[in-house]
Amino acid sequence: MSKDRLFDEIRDANLNYLLLAQTLIREDREAAIYRLGISEELAELLDALSPAQLMKISSSTTLLCRLRYDDRLILDMLVSHTKDKPMARAHAAILGASRPVEVLA
Amino acid sequence: MAGKSIVDEANQIATAIELIELGARLQVLEVETSLSRERLLRLYKEVKGVSPPKGMLPFSTDWFVTWQPNIHASLFIEIHRFLTANTRTRGVAATVKAYKLYLEHASLDGIEPILTFTRAWTLLRYFESRLLTLSACNKCSGHFVVNPLDLHKNFICGLCAPPSRAGKTRKAALTQVAIPAA
Repeated sequence: MSKDRLFDEIRDANLNYLLLAQTLIREDREAAIYRLGISEELAELLDALSPAQLMKISSSTTLLCRLRYDDRLILDMLVSHTKDKPMARAHAAILGASRPVEVLA
Repeated sequence: MAGKSIVDEANQIATAIELIELGARLQVLEVETSLSRERLLRLYKEVKGVSPPKGMLPFSTDWFVTWQPNIHASLFIEIHRFLTANTRTRGVAATVKAYKLYLEHASLDGIEPILTFTRAWTLLRYFESRLLTLSACNKCSGHFVVNPLDLHKNFICGLCAPPSRAGKTRKAALTQVAIPAA
């Protein structure tokens, strides 16, 4: 992948993420906080961003969102096919819900 | 009653309708709203088209510690804990939100939501009165619903160490056969 193409893809992913986050927050704030795994303060901040601001933070050389399940145990559960799949996912959800949210520094 | 707010009453009715649609029993409605029993009865019939089921609510904590219900109960309680810890929602609103998120999980993963709304509500009451509590699994460190009087020193959850033949019901076997055929 060429560098220009790579940065385009990253910007698209960032913008998609931010737009989805805003839609979720506007639809149902509490559910959005659960889905996004962010703090209420951060949700309010994302909600208040204007389209121009969204564009500004999207153009970046790095991705804005990072993998939430940075835990070997949960990742193994989600990708393994040996276990009963729905139960493994329920297990991952139970573990995921007790993890801390992303907060503003 | 003098000074009764119509707006407040409208909100109460809206809450009651939402609860009825989620499958709450009449006893839940009586606790969570300030509407009279007669009005709730009429509302229930209007929303559901049938009379509310009679009889007592399930009152045993044992159901929540059996294998499959325990997974559902633990999932619900963890979502509820997440919401009360990270958002400002409280009380019945938090219960409704958590229950809806639980239903989403169940429907996406194709598991039957065996935890009914009334059960979920009862579960929270059991937690308030400390009839049930959470214990961390020593293997996955997830939190699971347990009886507070049991020993939890070396607790391992039902998902890390499923009991033999757990979940191997006739219904499960039938769906297993159905999948390759489809």
